[in-house]
Amino acid sequence: MKKIIGSALAGTLGLSIAFGISAGPVEDQIAFQKYYENRFPDTPTEDFANGVYSILPAAREQWEAIEEFPPYELAIEAGEEFYNKPFANGKSLADCFGADGAVRNQYPKWDSERGMVVTMELAINECLTANGEKPLKYKKGKITEVTAFMSFNSRGQKVDVKIPSDDPRALAAYENGKEHFYTKRGQLNFACADCHLLTAGNLYRADTTSPGFGHGTHWPVFRSKWQSMGTLHRRFGGCHKNIRANPYKAQGEEYRNLEYFVTYMSNGLEFNGPAARK
Amino acid sequence: MKFKLKMLIVGLALTTSGAFAGNGTTAEHIEAATAAYKQVAKDTSYQWTTTVRTIKAARKALEAGDDKAARKLAHQAMDLVEATRLQAKIEGETWQMRVPK
Repeated sequence: MKKIIGSALAGTLGLSIAFGISAGPVEDQIAFQKYYENRFPDTPTEDFANGVYSILPAAREQWEAIEEFPPYELAIEAGEEFYNKPFANGKSLADCFGADGAVRNQYPKWDSERGMVVTMELAINECLTANGEKPLKYKKGKITEVTAFMSFNSRGQKVDVKIPSDDPRALAAYENGKEHFYTKRGQLNFACADCHLLTAGNLYRADTTSPGFGHGTHWPVFRSKWQSMGTLHRRFGGCHKNIRANPYKAQGEEYRNLEYFVTYMSNGLEFNGPAARK
Repeated sequence: MKFKLKMLIVGLALTTSGAFAGNGTTAEHIEAATAAYKQVAKDTSYQWTTTVRTIKAARKALEAGDDKAARKLAHQAMDLVEATRLQAKIEGETWQMRVPK
C-alpha cells in the first residue's frame, strides 16, 4: 500500500516538472502532436498513422511483409458481402452509408440532438436496428468485417474530428475522454498516457509501446495476439485488463468519449484501416 | 498537498483497522469488502480486477471451510478497495499534470 502511494506521488511530482495544465482542445492537440514529433524526430508526421511501426524499423520490415498478404483481407470481403446484403425490408447498409461506405472520416462525431459521441460501430448498429435487424456485437466478429470494408474504402481520408464550439456538452465529452487518457487506473497504477505518451517507444517486457499519436486511425485491426479482428474498444478493454482495471462496456459512454479524444488528437493524419498489428 | 495525503492515509488506516477490529463472522467480513468494493465503483468508477478475484477467493476459502484464509483474503480485499479509493482521489487531483503543454 505504502509502495503504491509512494510510486504514485513520485511519478506525479516528476511529471509536474515537465508538464502542466493545458488549455482547450486545439492547444491540447498542437502540444500532443508536437510532443511526439520532438520525441521521435526521425518519424515523418504522417507516418504516426502506422502505430508502433512508425518508430521501430526492425518490426516495420516484418509488418510490411505481413501487409503484402494482409490477414484482414478476408474480413474486407466478408464485410462487403454483409454491407450489400438486403435487410428483410429490402434496404441495406448502403442506404445508411452510401454505396461504398467510405464514411470513416465522419466518425467519431458529436450528435448534438442526443448530446453524445457517435462512433462508426454505433452508427452501423443504429442503422441495423432502425431497419428491424439485429445489432452486432461490438468487440469482434461481424462488426469488424463491416468496418474493415468501410475503413478500407475510406483509406486516405483525413482524420477530422470536430468539437462543436456551440455545444458545451461536446467539450465535456472531450474533456471526459481526455481525463480518462491521462488518469492512472488499475492496481498497476497506469494511465493510457504512461505507456503511449510518457514512455511511448519503451519496452514493457517484450513489447514496445506505440505512440498515442495515430491511435484512432487504423481500426479495425487483425491482431496476431488475438488471431482475429478486433475493434478499438476491444483493445481499450484489453489495455485495462493488462493494468488490472475492470474494463468499461464497449460502446458505452466512457469508451466513446475516450475514442473522441484519442481520434481528435490524431486530426490531420490519414485513416489507413484496417491494419495488422502484433 | 503532502500533509493532506498523510492525513488521508492515516484516516484510511484507522477506518480499515476499525472496521475489522470487531468480532463479526468471516462471512460478514467478506460481505463488508464486497459492499465497499461496490461503493467505490459507484463513487469513482474505479474498479480493480484484483479486488474481484480476491473476494471470490475469500468466498471459495470459506466454502472450503478454511476460515482463517478466508478472513485474511477478506481483509486483503478491503485493503485493495481502500487503495482504489485513494488512487481515485489522488488522480482526481493530479491527472492534469501529465498533459503536455
